[in-house]
Amino acid sequence: MNWRLSRMLAWRDWRSGELGLLMLALVVAVASVTAISLFVDRLQQAMLNESADFLAADRYVGSSRELPPSFRDLAQARNVQAVDTLLFPSMVFAGEELNQLVSVKAVSPGYPLRGRLRVATQPFGVGVVTQALPELGEVWLDSRLFPALGVALGDTIEVGLAKLTISNVITSEPDRGGGMFDWGPRLLMRMADVPATEVVQPGSRLTYRLLLRGDDDDLEALKEDFDLQPGQSWVGIKESSPSIGSALARAERFLLLGGLLAVLLAGLAVVLAAARYARRHYDHVAVLKTLGTGPNAILASYVGVLLLVAAVAIAVGLIVGFGLHWLILLALQELMPIELPPPGVRPLVLGSITGLICTMAFALPAFIHLRNVSPMNVIRRDLGATPPSRYLSYSMAAAGVIALLLWYTQDVLLTLWALGGTSLTLVIFGALGLLLLRGTRVLGTQAGSLWRFALASLQRRHRENLVQMLVIGLAIMLILILVLLRTALLSEWQQQIPEGAPNHFVMNLQPEQVPELQAQLDAAQLPFDEAFAMVRGRVVEVNGLSAKEHRAAQGEQDRPGANIGSERNLTWTATLPQGNSLVSGQWWAEASAASEVSLEEEYAREAGVSLGDELRFDIGGRQLTARVTSLRRLDWESMRPNFFIIFSPGALESFPVTYMTSFHLPVDQKRFLNGLLTSFPTVTVIEVDALIARIQSIISRVTQAVELVLYLVLVAGCLVLVASIQASRDARMHEHALLRALGGTRALVAGTLAIEFAALGMLAGTIGAIGAEVTVALLQTQAFDLPARAHPWVWLLGPLLGAVLIAGVGMISTRSLISTPPMLVLRGLS
Amino acid sequence: MTQATPNDATQPTVVQASNVSKVVSTSEGELRILAGIDLEINAGESLALVGASGSGKTTLLGILAGLDEPTSGVVRLGPYELTALDEEQRAKARGELVGFVFQTFQLLESLTALENVMLPSELRGSRDAREQAVELLARVGLEHRHGHYPRQLSGGEQQRVAVARAFAAQPKVLFADEPTGNLDTATGSKIVDLIFSLNQEFATTLVLVTHDERLAARCDRSVTIAFGEISQ
Repeated sequence: MNWRLSRMLAWRDWRSGELGLLMLALVVAVASVTAISLFVDRLQQAMLNESADFLAADRYVGSSRELPPSFRDLAQARNVQAVDTLLFPSMVFAGEELNQLVSVKAVSPGYPLRGRLRVATQPFGVGVVTQALPELGEVWLDSRLFPALGVALGDTIEVGLAKLTISNVITSEPDRGGGMFDWGPRLLMRMADVPATEVVQPGSRLTYRLLLRGDDDDLEALKEDFDLQPGQSWVGIKESSPSIGSALARAERFLLLGGLLAVLLAGLAVVLAAARYARRHYDHVAVLKTLGTGPNAILASYVGVLLLVAAVAIAVGLIVGFGLHWLILLALQELMPIELPPPGVRPLVLGSITGLICTMAFALPAFIHLRNVSPMNVIRRDLGATPPSRYLSYSMAAAGVIALLLWYTQDVLLTLWALGGTSLTLVIFGALGLLLLRGTRVLGTQAGSLWRFALASLQRRHRENLVQMLVIGLAIMLILILVLLRTALLSEWQQQIPEGAPNHFVMNLQPEQVPELQAQLDAAQLPFDEAFAMVRGRVVEVNGLSAKEHRAAQGEQDRPGANIGSERNLTWTATLPQGNSLVSGQWWAEASAASEVSLEEEYAREAGVSLGDELRFDIGGRQLTARVTSLRRLDWESMRPNFFIIFSPGALESFPVTYMTSFHLPVDQKRFLNGLLTSFPTVTVIEVDALIARIQSIISRVTQAVELVLYLVLVAGCLVLVASIQASRDARMHEHALLRALGGTRALVAGTLAIEFAALGMLAGTIGAIGAEVTVALLQTQAFDLPARAHPWVWLLGPLLGAVLIAGVGMISTRSLISTPPMLVLRGLS
Repeated sequence: MTQATPNDATQPTVVQASNVSKVVSTSEGELRILAGIDLEINAGESLALVGASGSGKTTLLGILAGLDEPTSGVVRLGPYELTALDEEQRAKARGELVGFVFQTFQLLESLTALENVMLPSELRGSRDAREQAVELLARVGLEHRHGHYPRQLSGGEQQRVAVARAFAAQPKVLFADEPTGNLDTATGSKIVDLIFSLNQEFATTLVLVTHDERLAARCDRSVTIAFGEISQ
């Protein structure tokens, strides 16, 4: 490679401003990729940490039996921190008369592995973070246990046979509300005190957990080491809370999509800038060739120029990207008071390699063209480059796009969708664009001189304009897609937990207590849900085989999580409950006397039960047979009571039944629970308000991230506009100089330009709107599992956005065209 | 077939075209631009290619200089048979033997006058490119315009820079395509004087395409091209 010539060319081109746009496009590509990935990387880590707070760990192993001590050794060997917890419900006594059912959590030192404990100095006080745990012989209690038990800090209570001192008020812990029996007010104690209570007996309802914290790879390896048995479950954030799991998964996809669009837009800008640079160097190369420089030397020199430019652009882009991400963090400091983990090296590597791929795939082909410029160009203009190399450049650009998309999203499906959509869009809209351009010609012949010039100018360069229109249309399309998806996802997320959604569940209600409770809720003006009947029971036979035999017959399909024989809440209802949809089979007739049962589809699949199977249930020692007549899908994110197993009305009538209901309790009326528990001492209240607040906080953070990515993509989009307008600047400049030389006023030239740009923008915007509508409909139905919807405002906004943006950017970047004396232009380009 | 041979047969032939034809494909079928051209040009000779617009003279110049390839026939330039070389080798031959002056000057916009003149020597890796360029610019009367960019120079000045650049390579053959076509008469004749005097000084062979009869008359020999053939 002729570095001397490259350096000379690069330096002289830089000095004369020839390389500015290309350099800028590459810098924006690298900077936006770096900034987005730095931010996303740190935010994702933060969100994962935040989500891990839900578990108080990165993962845990749960079981109703004590976990083998070997698990702790295995964890230690993998360098994974491990802490035991034990959950169980228990009655606690304060003095002779007052007692209360509490949810005990016994923990070992080191708890929690993620998130923080908060305590208050007095009941119902404001919680502050603490690093401490109850000392041996001490317990911490939930605020509302103090009035319920009539105790104060320093008093003693009895847990089983042990007497323990109340030393603190616990207001929150990270893994609150995690299990079936983890309801009721909290009592936190030390694991070492549990044996003294003697409450842990065979048959007790116990939940043992081994909380784990460590690197993802180590944790995954540890899971293999554990070789979990049936009854032992491995839980991460996705398993433990489907709402947060799916919100996170969608957020990740969305941020990736945002990053991907920024890369595509920046790539477009690089293509345009490189093409312009190359076109402006056709004469240059022809002269060098007449002076004896061979095609290979030309290629080597210009590739050298490009590499120099890329090296500088990547360095500048990384610095700018890093700065940009700091600015974003600074701007969001108020909104996002979370500690972000330090940035990793990966985003910087991502930025550099993106810069290099952009250079090689998007800029290099235009430079390769230069090799084929005929030296005859010096005598005869417009010879350009030979066509065959164009195929090379198209395939290089396509390969670059695919490589970037695959690497960036790590998602073949998303990449294929983006590619397929873009290619199809380009083909269809190429045809549409030509039609639109033809239409303007017809209009133009009947218009006044200003419009005629402008529309004739559009028509005259119809090839370039078509390309420009597609490029800008694509940019507008990408921006609209992002806006549409953002709106759709946000409203869907917000609808997920509507205002006033039930945040407290009441269980174990006796039938006669239901109207009394509803009267109390009414009196307190608290909205409540319908009451569901509930019977505890388990499946003992499937089609005549015992549950155990059935499991064995299912072989590999049987997983630890799908234990068909475990005890479940059963209910009955005449009509399909809200948030349920029938997947197969038929819902029973209201008057049906037969024992029918409807199962949740996932539960049925994992348990290996299908339509028509006969299930025998054991309910409190009595047995009942029912046939599976339908399968349902549940909306797990609805925050409503959901049942895996629903019976037809009448089937469970003769069994002892309790009811459950749910209601919304605002945070400032928490004391209402005390009155409720005093009136109904036997009922159990599950509080999910903390869980809901967590989900909402995560969603709002995800929303901010999504908005930021949108802004960055907008910046990249604007650069594409500038680059594409710059691409046609030389030709326009020459024409308008001629127009002015022939007596056209500045106002005429400015007006012509404004109309031309606005018309081009409008056509591009129309194309963008159509593309966005179609792509969003596809993405929503295929990638995000949302229903498709039409967005009429896009049809107005697209063309308007196109016209305003292009006219604005176009007029700014061509203002020198109007102010430069025509003589200078004509001589300069002669 | 028409024939064109040099007046002075004692000098070695430096440019030779044998039965050169050029055919291009257009949307309306094949277009014959040159048909069976035979031409010999001796070292030190000055030759004018004249003819009407579209007669094929510029195409012939391009082929003789190795800028373009004929469809058939053989072209020799100095020791090289151009028609047997690929573009890479032709470029080497051009760099070694040929200088150009164009109607549209073809200076590199991003380079100053001095840098434009330095370019051929720089491309050859010559160490005294700058000194040589300074000298040549002085020779064409532009010693005070070193740092000016082409757009800051008049047409005549740009062409003088182009002439200086052409001689910077110390070519054996100078090809000039309408060197005065873009200039007024007075400026044009100054440029012509300059070309001929440098031509003499550097003992270069001169091949030029022109419409200008007075310029053609100053050459040792004129060859008229009409409809792709040599007509006299």
